[in-house]
Amino acid sequence: MNRLSILFFSIAIILNLSCRKNDGNTSTDFEGLKDRALMDFVNVVALPGYEELKTKAATLNSKVTAFDANTTDTNLLAAREAWKGLRATWERCEGFLFGPVEDDEYDPETDTWPVSFNDLDSLMNSSNPLGVSDIEALSQRSLKGYHPMEYILWGKNGAQTAASINARQKQYLTSLSLHLKSQAEKLYDSWAPGGGNYGQYILNAGKGSSLYPKKQDAFTSILEGLLAICEEVGEGKMLEPFDAQDPAIVESPFSGNSVTDFKNNITGAFNAYEGKFNDDGVGLSELVRARNISLDNELKQNFNAAINSFNNITVPYEKAILEQRIQCRQTMDAISELSATLDGKLRTFIMQNIID
Amino acid sequence: MYWIVAILVGPALFMMCRKPGLFQDSGFDPRLSGGEASVFDETSKAFGHQVSGLNERDEQVHELGDGAIGATFVTAPAPVNPGLGPVFSNVSCISCHHNDGKGSPTAGLVNSSLLLRLSITGTDEFGGTKAVEGFGTQLQDLAVFGVQPEAKIEIGYTEQAFSFPDGETVSLREPTYNLVSPYKALPGNLLISPRMAPPFFGLGLLQNIPEATILSFTDENDRDGDGISGRPNYVYDPVQKKMMLGRFGLKANVATLLTQVAGAYNQDMGVTNYVFPQESSWGQTQLDALHDDPELPDSILNAAVFYIKTLAVPARRNVLDPVARQGENIFTQIQCAACHKPTMQTGIDLTLKTISNQRIHPYTDLLLHDMGDGLADGRPDFQANEREWKTPALWGIGLFEKTNGVPFYLHDGRARTLEEAILWHEGEAENAKQKFVQLPSSERKALIKFLKSL
Repeated sequence: MNRLSILFFSIAIILNLSCRKNDGNTSTDFEGLKDRALMDFVNVVALPGYEELKTKAATLNSKVTAFDANTTDTNLLAAREAWKGLRATWERCEGFLFGPVEDDEYDPETDTWPVSFNDLDSLMNSSNPLGVSDIEALSQRSLKGYHPMEYILWGKNGAQTAASINARQKQYLTSLSLHLKSQAEKLYDSWAPGGGNYGQYILNAGKGSSLYPKKQDAFTSILEGLLAICEEVGEGKMLEPFDAQDPAIVESPFSGNSVTDFKNNITGAFNAYEGKFNDDGVGLSELVRARNISLDNELKQNFNAAINSFNNITVPYEKAILEQRIQCRQTMDAISELSATLDGKLRTFIMQNIID
Repeated sequence: MYWIVAILVGPALFMMCRKPGLFQDSGFDPRLSGGEASVFDETSKAFGHQVSGLNERDEQVHELGDGAIGATFVTAPAPVNPGLGPVFSNVSCISCHHNDGKGSPTAGLVNSSLLLRLSITGTDEFGGTKAVEGFGTQLQDLAVFGVQPEAKIEIGYTEQAFSFPDGETVSLREPTYNLVSPYKALPGNLLISPRMAPPFFGLGLLQNIPEATILSFTDENDRDGDGISGRPNYVYDPVQKKMMLGRFGLKANVATLLTQVAGAYNQDMGVTNYVFPQESSWGQTQLDALHDDPELPDSILNAAVFYIKTLAVPARRNVLDPVARQGENIFTQIQCAACHKPTMQTGIDLTLKTISNQRIHPYTDLLLHDMGDGLADGRPDFQANEREWKTPALWGIGLFEKTNGVPFYLHDGRARTLEEAILWHEGEAENAKQKFVQLPSSERKALIKFLKSL
């Protein structure tokens, strides 16, 4: 075979390969992808997400403890930043709100809203002990978790200073941070092999898992998680104050962090779809891409459009609902479009293609 | 000539006079437990889907209701969700109705789903339960900060072993309830009835079952001699201001969804509304001095009712599985289906086509049955006596493990498995239970597999 023949033959092979329609993979590859996506959901998305939550909850506790020991505005600022850091991770973990976080109620235990101002003030003005066990024993979840901390760290109008936080409030802050730390540890353990090992239910989907008898069940749960957070943000947290034009009913008004919260929620959902948290993995996205590349592109475009649209809201959400209504509306529309694609096309894809 | 007319008109008249019956099963998809109002979801979110076919406005009201069901109430005055308490059983609907379903049989905790109804012997002016002075008809075991709850509930369990003839054993746990630290002395003739929060879904369909259909299931004097009677509860409805057929509540003690939901806002959360505008702590030392009733906007109450009315029923799974089909046959053969009626047709609802005229499979007759001493609460409720409970719907029961973690069956959540739940059946269901007990293990498992397919 002369050089010309070799060149011709090589080009023919390359052309043949490049012209082949991307049929995705053989069915064997697709089977492998399903297992890989479930494995990565546990080991690349959920466990690393909850581990980061645990780490950041410990950081918040140490910053609050430091503030309690040395009550300066610098230490207050550090505690606020730690609260925002933990909050960012939590909101991204809300992209997959199923399993122990819901079943064992870690979500309402730590993220109940609104804050009960009257009861919080009564608690501060009482002689009720404020140790962590006393906080855990309170009958109202609106006195526990992120938002009472936010209320004390920023104050009602965001003008809190270190000097204006009294000794009982600092003790309350410390116990609240310990409670959050303990909840984050338990949540991580509930998924970890050495603890509740919820991850096993996902890993064994379709292979004897009592909660997920079929692999399709596990992927549908991931889909329901994506839909739930889109609905919670687009039709609840954003829409209700927007419709009422009432800044008082925005969820994180003290820190002015609501837009960041919302954006992290949708980012968390995108991560769950792509099978990543900090590191990349294989997710539903690869499965879709293998069989319907245009749907995967559409979903990614929907996710990116929704996430990027938050950048157009340049003031805290409690102001935006009055001053930037068009931008707020555009973001809600983008989330709504994303939801529609998830609920329609992605659900159909799962039903038709992941048949165990 | 006339005979031709007679031949043509006669059959038509005959057909017009015939009562419409159910079509044959073979013409329907057995998975569709809620007819058109069924949803295919087997995940922990299976109970939270709206029925299909809602128009845009109805979808918005459903979503508004979804938000209302999830809303956490706080002490008034407050900018968001004011009106909690002063005494209450929990702070939001979903705190008890986990994932739009059930919850845990604990009391006094933030995630508790069990409450105690209270009364003393005798009846009120409408034939209902007689309130306990200073406590009303429901114990509120939690209170806003600084306020004393009415009392705390201590729950204990006694385990007892049950052995099947083939040697297999099951442990049954019997609960006891003790009221401690009451804010004032409780009367000696106190009657208590524990109630677990039931699931929300499918209630629009149950409300839409024609009264005549439910009454056709009654057999109060057991004329057919099968040992099973079944009788309706008639209760006073404060909205319609008349006695009506009870459909909701574990003793069929509430007639409509509106009254059920409004009562829960008032009694479970202390949130006053247009149906029940008086605080649950009225006349008690815990009452606040606020003049803010009704605390719940009318539109929110109506949206919450609409949300529940328009929640779809999860479709069945494994309907073609031979073992599940065997279990389905056994279910009928041992007379479970005598009370847990599999199939009926809903009435016409011109506003909501997906719950209108639907062939549904709720596995209930919505009637009261004597369930024996083991399950008796000793507390009459309108015409339900101390041993009677309403047949609970079984649709969705196979998903409780997913939506609830541990499923917890029966009115007080004492049963941790379906097998335990069956073994607690006595009274009218004693015969069916004995037949279940005598089944070989494989057939008992088949029956459970069928139940888990619902």
